[in-house]
Amino acid sequence: MKVILKNLMVNYPYFIAAILFIIGALTVLTRNNLFKKLFGINIMESAIFILFVGGANIRNGIEPILNESEVGAVYVNPLPSALMLTGIVVSVSVTAFALALIVRLYESYGTTNARRIAEIRNELTTK
Amino acid sequence: MMPSIIENLPVFAVITPLFIAFVLPTIAKRLKLVEGLVILAKILSLAVASCLAFIVLKQNILPLTYYMGGWAPPWGIELQTGSLSAFFLLVVAIVALPIALFSKSNLDKEVGGKERVARFYVLFLLLCGALAGMALTNDMFNVFVLVEVATLSCCGLVSARNKPQAAEAAFTYLILATLGSTFLLGGIGFIYIITGHLNMGFAFEEITKVWMQYPHVVWIAVSFILIGFGVKSALFPLHIWLPDAHSAAPSSASAVLSGLAVKGYILCLIKFLFSVFGKNLMRELAIYELLMLAGTAAIIFGSVFALMQNQLKRRLAYSTVAQVGYIYLGLGLLSIDGLTGALFYMASHAVIKSALFLAAGALLSATKTKNINELSGVGRKMPITMAAFTIGSIGLIGIPLFSGFIGKWYLLLGCLESGSFITAAVIIIGSIFCAAYLFPIIRIAYFEPAPDNDWKDPGLPQKIALILLSLAIIVLGIMPGPFLELAKNAAVELFMLK
Repeated sequence: MKVILKNLMVNYPYFIAAILFIIGALTVLTRNNLFKKLFGINIMESAIFILFVGGANIRNGIEPILNESEVGAVYVNPLPSALMLTGIVVSVSVTAFALALIVRLYESYGTTNARRIAEIRNELTTK
Repeated sequence: MMPSIIENLPVFAVITPLFIAFVLPTIAKRLKLVEGLVILAKILSLAVASCLAFIVLKQNILPLTYYMGGWAPPWGIELQTGSLSAFFLLVVAIVALPIALFSKSNLDKEVGGKERVARFYVLFLLLCGALAGMALTNDMFNVFVLVEVATLSCCGLVSARNKPQAAEAAFTYLILATLGSTFLLGGIGFIYIITGHLNMGFAFEEITKVWMQYPHVVWIAVSFILIGFGVKSALFPLHIWLPDAHSAAPSSASAVLSGLAVKGYILCLIKFLFSVFGKNLMRELAIYELLMLAGTAAIIFGSVFALMQNQLKRRLAYSTVAQVGYIYLGLGLLSIDGLTGALFYMASHAVIKSALFLAAGALLSATKTKNINELSGVGRKMPITMAAFTIGSIGLIGIPLFSGFIGKWYLLLGCLESGSFITAAVIIIGSIFCAAYLFPIIRIAYFEPAPDNDWKDPGLPQKIALILLSLAIIVLGIMPGPFLELAKNAAVELFMLK
């Protein structure tokens, strides 16, 4: 028990990432509301961002700026943070596109519920 | 002068379509110019791809590498032109040119309005650029970015029709594909955390050293990447988005999606499996068994679902699910012959499925019916379209002298080599199923009486596109020469990594 707790204390970013990832995945797969599906995707992406940034973090590490007075100091890896900026840009564009699609769906079906949309479409095609 | 052009060729393969894609919106009003530029872009890509393929085939030494911005790996992004990349670039170029031709002066009805045509072409070129980038890049995060570019353009293409069904299919596709890319990014994250590299070569070296230390992390990374690319490339249980998306898209878009986009994701998966994890790790972690199982399931269930469809495009879309199974099966065989077969099958399916979807599009816009049963006698009214469809069907079934045969032949060789006779049987059963769901269409089209409609073959550019693709199917089947050699070299290169 103590070992698990200690691991949890040391590696808490990974646990947060895992929990968020599961919450997000469940939301995407089980919710019918299109907006909630989109939120789920965003939560999952945040989980991955935390994974990257948390993985690069070093406790008591300094910022990665060349500084002659602190020779030999351990610095935090800046690359994952830079990568996650790209990831955030990608995530924003996906969100924007999905929102545009939701608007179009709402205009033509009058609802944002995926199941209701499928029902309406089936009625239209069988007619 | 010449050497510097050759050195910079890889980057031109990616930049040309991307650059022209961003020029298009500025001249969106002048449709003729837009279409001309798109075809010019595709011809340029074909020229670049053939040059690269020629160089790679001729040199046969170390792969051509290009450092983006002059930064050498492990820091910079590296473009590597090995046999695999040259092979896939050539496939993309060969398939995309007829598709661009087919779309010429044909799109405005399908996408609903002239002003939307230029947007379609922007997405089309972005997708082609992303696919070229996927073929060349040797950097894992770069793969993710390009995959994301490709995914967004694919979703845009699916929603190009101004119909609510298209938006619905595109939304489902977008959500599932983003789910896939999230898994992919997670997998890349785990690899980065244990290896500290994003360059595939460096990551491979590191991972072979440290995987014994972190077996669980490697497991998670492998499964995340498999799920990610599995969703995107419609591997059997994860294929649910594909039939709706491919049948809701405009015809030339479904040809690109089915022919090229799916293959791009499989290509990236091949890169991850063989040049990041390596074949030893695949054997050690039994990934190959998973791939084989998924492949066989895809072949059988995809074919059965295809048989049950009454709409032409949906039947072709489910057939894609089945054919993707063959490629995964080839990867799972874990032998040089199997991999050659999988790669060649990728090329042949890209050509064949585009031909089939384009022919189906021509049928659809002429006859205005989606149902297969209402196509009676269309073979006599639209001879060229139906001839292309027939050639494509025969190629897909894998009759000798057509391109599908060679891919299946190598897959069978790989099966027999590894002694798995059940998979060999599945390949043959898949062919029989394929005949069962494609031949009825041909029978209805040729041997049923034709109604008194004025169904006509499409216009000249469309005819040229169909003829080009049919020729490609036959040429690949009779003289696979350079293609087969590239596929073989690629398989050997991937397999010989220590």
